[in-house]
Amino acid sequence: MLTRRKFVHTVGMGAAGALTASYIGARGREDALWSLSTPLEASGAAQAQTMIPLSSNENPLGPGQVVLQAIQDAFGPQGATPGRYSNATGALRDALSGHLGVTPENLTLGCGSTQILRTATHVYTERTRALVGTIPTYEECAGYAAMLGRPVRAVSLNRNFQMDLDELADASRGAGLVFYCNPNNPVATYTGAQATRDFIARVHRISPDTRILVDEAYFDYVTHPDHESMIPLALEDPRVIVARTFSKAYGMAGLRLGYAVAHPDAIRTLSAWDSGSGTSSLNVLALHAGVAAIGQGTAFTDAERARNKAVRDFTVKWFADRGMRSTESHTNFIFTNTGMPARQFRDGCLAKGVRVGRDFPPFQNEWCRISLGTMEEMTKAVAVFGEVLGKVAVAAA
Amino acid sequence: MSVTRRGFLTLKRPGGRVVTPSAGALPPGWLDGSAIGARGLEAEAAEEWQAVGRRGGARPDGPSGPSIKLSSNENPLGPGRAVLDAITAGFGNAGRYPFNVNPGDGQLLEMIAAGNNAQTENVVLGAGSQEILKVAVWAFTSPSRPLVTASPTFENATRVARNMGHPVVEINVDSRFRLDLESMLATVRGAGLVFVNNPNNPTATVHGGKTIADFVERVRRISPDTVILIDEAYHEYVTDPDYESAIPLALSTPNVFVARTFSKAYGMAGMRIGYGVGTADTIAPITRLRMPYNISVFGVAAAMAALGDPAHVEAERTRNTAVRAFTQKALEDLGCQCTASNTNFVFADIGRPNAEFRSACAEQGIQTGRDFPPFTGSHARISLGTMEEMQKATAVFRNVLRPATPVGGGTR
Repeated sequence: MLTRRKFVHTVGMGAAGALTASYIGARGREDALWSLSTPLEASGAAQAQTMIPLSSNENPLGPGQVVLQAIQDAFGPQGATPGRYSNATGALRDALSGHLGVTPENLTLGCGSTQILRTATHVYTERTRALVGTIPTYEECAGYAAMLGRPVRAVSLNRNFQMDLDELADASRGAGLVFYCNPNNPVATYTGAQATRDFIARVHRISPDTRILVDEAYFDYVTHPDHESMIPLALEDPRVIVARTFSKAYGMAGLRLGYAVAHPDAIRTLSAWDSGSGTSSLNVLALHAGVAAIGQGTAFTDAERARNKAVRDFTVKWFADRGMRSTESHTNFIFTNTGMPARQFRDGCLAKGVRVGRDFPPFQNEWCRISLGTMEEMTKAVAVFGEVLGKVAVAAA
Repeated sequence: MSVTRRGFLTLKRPGGRVVTPSAGALPPGWLDGSAIGARGLEAEAAEEWQAVGRRGGARPDGPSGPSIKLSSNENPLGPGRAVLDAITAGFGNAGRYPFNVNPGDGQLLEMIAAGNNAQTENVVLGAGSQEILKVAVWAFTSPSRPLVTASPTFENATRVARNMGHPVVEINVDSRFRLDLESMLATVRGAGLVFVNNPNNPTATVHGGKTIADFVERVRRISPDTVILIDEAYHEYVTDPDYESAIPLALSTPNVFVARTFSKAYGMAGMRIGYGVGTADTIAPITRLRMPYNISVFGVAAAMAALGDPAHVEAERTRNTAVRAFTQKALEDLGCQCTASNTNFVFADIGRPNAEFRSACAEQGIQTGRDFPPFTGSHARISLGTMEEMQKATAVFRNVLRPATPVGGGTR
C-alpha cells in the first residue's frame, strides 16, 4: 500500500530530477509532474479520492449530464458501438460549424488540442524556422519542437505577466510558428482582442510567411471587456490557426477532444500531415460527447464561467488579504506569488491533501499555479495554504 | 467445396483466368494523397457510409432495414458487459485528465506489461495501433532510410511515409496471398523500417512463428540497424497451429517490436487503444513521439476491464471461427475462392471489379470492404459479422454474384 509519505517522496524526486524540456515535451504539459510519481496502487484509490486536485486546470464538476447521457446512449442497443470505428466525426464537425458559424472545411479535430498543437509545430517549424513563444507558456509546442530538433525562441513576459507583444513580434522574424496562448497558461493573463489583432498584423508585416497559432483553450473563462475569438481572422487568413479544447470549461479532459479552426488551406495542411490518423485518434464516445456538449448551447459555458469567477475572486482575495499578489486571471487557475519555492509549497500542500501546480521556470522560486476547484474545495484548500505558508490565524499583511 | 492450399495455387475461375497475385502491377498513384484524402483507413471506411447518407445518395441502409456493416474488420458484438460497466463507472472522471484518474494510463501500462512478462519500459500506448505505426514511421524512416512493406497490406505506414516524402518499397504478396518475406528480405539492406502485418490485412493470411523468427534473424544479419514492426492486430483470431506471437522475440531482440490493438477481437475499435511491445531501447523513441495522454479515461477503464475478462476474447475467437467457415463455404459454393483466413474477414476472388460488387451489395444493404490494389479488379475484402448477419449477407452475395457475367476479373 502506498503511503502518503512515499507518494510525496516520489513526487519530490520527480520535481527535482527529471523536468527537463525534453521530458516535458515527451509527456505533455499537465502531467509532467504527476506521471513521474509511482503509480497509485489500487488500494490507494480511496486516498487519492480525498486529494483535492488543483494541478491540471480541469473543470472540477466535469461535463454536463447530457454529455454523460450521450456517452451511455452511444453504447447502442447491444452495446456494440464502442466496437465500431468512430463514424460521428461528421456530426461533430456539423455541430461545431453551426456553433462557431464556420464551415466544416474550416475545422479539423484532434485527440485533445495536444494533437493540434503538435501537428502545427510539426508542419510549420523547420530546422531553419523556429518556434516562438513566451516563457513561461504551455510547454507542448516548445517541448515538441525541441524534441524534433527545431529551434525555439523564448520571449520573456512583461512586468504584469502579460505577453510582451513588441518583443514577441520582433522574435517572429523568419520564424515558422508563433505559439500565442491567450489566456496564457500558466500565468493566467489575457491580451485583449484588439491588441492581438494588431500583433498579428505586425507579425505579417515583419515576417509574412510566419504562422500564428492562437491557443484559446481557456477562452470560455475570460471575463475581460475586450474579449473576442480570433476565429473570424483565421477564417480569412491561412497564416492564423485557432486551437480549442473540450478539456477546460466543457469539463471533458478525460475524453481527449480538441479542434482547430482555420482557413481551408491551413486545415488541409494540418490534416494531411496526420495522413488519416487525425480522426482515427478520436474515440467514439468523445465524438458523441462533443456533439452533446455543443448542444448545451452557451448556457453551459456561461454558467461555468460565472461559477469559476466567483471561486477565482474568493481565492485571489484570500491571498491578497494575506499580502500575496496574483496576476490578473482570466482562466480557471491563478498564478500567485506565495513567496515560497513552488516545490516546497507543493510538497507542503500535498502532505495535507491538496495538489497544486508544477514548477514554471523562471518563476518557480516564488510563484505557484493553483487550479480552481469548487468553492467547497477552495474553502478547504485555503485552510491548507494558510497552514503551509504559516499564515493560519491572521492576515500577514 | 473446400479448397486446399495446394489446389488454390492452380485454381481457375470459370472465366479461365489463373490468379497470379504477385504479377499484378500497381496502378500509378493509387495511394497518393489525393486518392486518400485526409482521413484514415478503417475509420475512413466507416465515415464514407455516413457521408453517403448525408449527401442523400445511395443509402447505407438497405431496402429491408438497416445495413450490415462488413467493411471495417470490427467485432460485430462490441465489448463485453464488463467493459461497458467500467465505462459508466468512470463517469465521475470525465473531467479529469487520464493521468489524474486512478486507475489511470500508468496502471493500464503495468497491466499490459505484466500480461506479456515485460516491464513498463517495454510497452507504449497508442490512440489505436495506428498511432504506434505512424510514430514508428516518423521515428525510424528518413529520406535515406526507406520503409519496406507489402502490397496489399494495411496502408497506414505506407501513407505516413509517402506523406513525409520518405521512400517506400512495396513487395507484392506471394501466390498464396501471403507476405512475400523472401522478396522483402532482398530489399531490407539500409531500410529504416520493415512493416510485417501478421496476419496480413486485407489478404487474411498468416505466417508461422518459425518463419517470422527466421525472417527477423536474416534481416538482423543483413541490416542490423533496420527496425522490424510486426503488426499483430488480428492475433486473437488466428487458428493456424504454426502461428506464434512475436512478442517474446521482440522482448529479447533489439530493433524488433510488435503492435497490438483492442480494436479487433476485444471489440473496442471505437475506443482507440493500441500498444507496442519491444526492448526498452526500441520502444523509447516511440514513447517520446506519441501523444501524451492519448487514451481517454474511458479507454483506460475499458481496456483494463477487457484484460480482466479473457473469456470474452476466447468466446469471440470461437464465434468468429464458425462464422468464417460458414462464409468461406458460402462464397466457395459460388465459385469465389477465399485465401486461408486467420482473421475476422475473408479475402475472396469475386471475379469482377470490387467497386461493382461493393455497389451492388450496398444497394441491398450490405457494406463490404474498400478497394485493395492491385486486386481491385478481382477481390473483395468482406469483414465477418454475426452468423445471422452473414446468413443475410451471403444471400445478397448470391444475388449479386450469380446473374452477373464475370467481367475482366483481375485485369486492369
